[in-house]
Amino acid sequence: MPKPTKGPRLGGGPAHERLLLANLAAALFTHKSIKTTETKAKRLRPVAERLITFAKRGDLHARRRVLAVIGDKGVVHELFTQIAPLVAERDGGYTRITKLGFRKGDNAPMVQIELVLEPVNAKPRAKAETKKPKAAPVEDVVEESAEVPAEDAPAEDVPVADAAAEASAEAVETEEAPVEADVVEIERAEEAEAADEAADADSEVAGDSDK
Amino acid sequence: MAVPKRKMSRASTRARRAQWKATPPTLVKTIEGGKVVYSLPHRAKVVEDSAGTPLYLEYKGRKVADV
Repeated sequence: MPKPTKGPRLGGGPAHERLLLANLAAALFTHKSIKTTETKAKRLRPVAERLITFAKRGDLHARRRVLAVIGDKGVVHELFTQIAPLVAERDGGYTRITKLGFRKGDNAPMVQIELVLEPVNAKPRAKAETKKPKAAPVEDVVEESAEVPAEDAPAEDVPVADAAAEASAEAVETEEAPVEADVVEIERAEEAEAADEAADADSEVAGDSDK
Repeated sequence: MAVPKRKMSRASTRARRAQWKATPPTLVKTIEGGKVVYSLPHRAKVVEDSAGTPLYLEYKGRKVADV
């Protein structure tokens, strides 16, 4: 919903402004790009975009509501059949205003207001591409940080591996043993992790594994 | 109709006019072809050929309008 305009109307009054903006919108849909003053263009933008939204809806009711603003059926037909499919993918922002300069007679700031009919630019895709390279280094860092303790670990893992070998030997003897052996392995793995964190505990872990 | 009772003094006229001040426009500084160019921000620029004849208006690398 366009924000209601404050201050005086364009032209001579409210009716004059409505007619003026309707004519500007019709000219915009006919020529796709018109040159006008900045004030008029800024007032025209919400009006024209609202009409395009009706055109995208495309049913008879929407067509009649547009016809209530723009009397020319030819312009409305062109809006519904040619312009609406081109902006079907676009979520608003159907017009572009570019400042051109100042008019010679009264130094009024002039702008070019045009319909944005290009296919929607794939901006989210560009963002995804920028994210991927960023994400990859993070993963690398994680892997490196995971590898660093793993490199420290082997010296301490050796007794654990011995214990696992003993556990497998026990597993051959009794069926109940594997569960116990697994528990022992888990405990020793935890101890090994603790050892990774605190180098002081190395001797204790070694002593435990000897037992 | 309301009419001024007294002639406005030269001093008060000049004091009022002393408050009229021109503000410098904010310009952006760009370097085009080795030359420093000052121009208004967010405004289409005229593209000229080598002879200096204006061709069209350009904004952000896109042809906007004819001159």
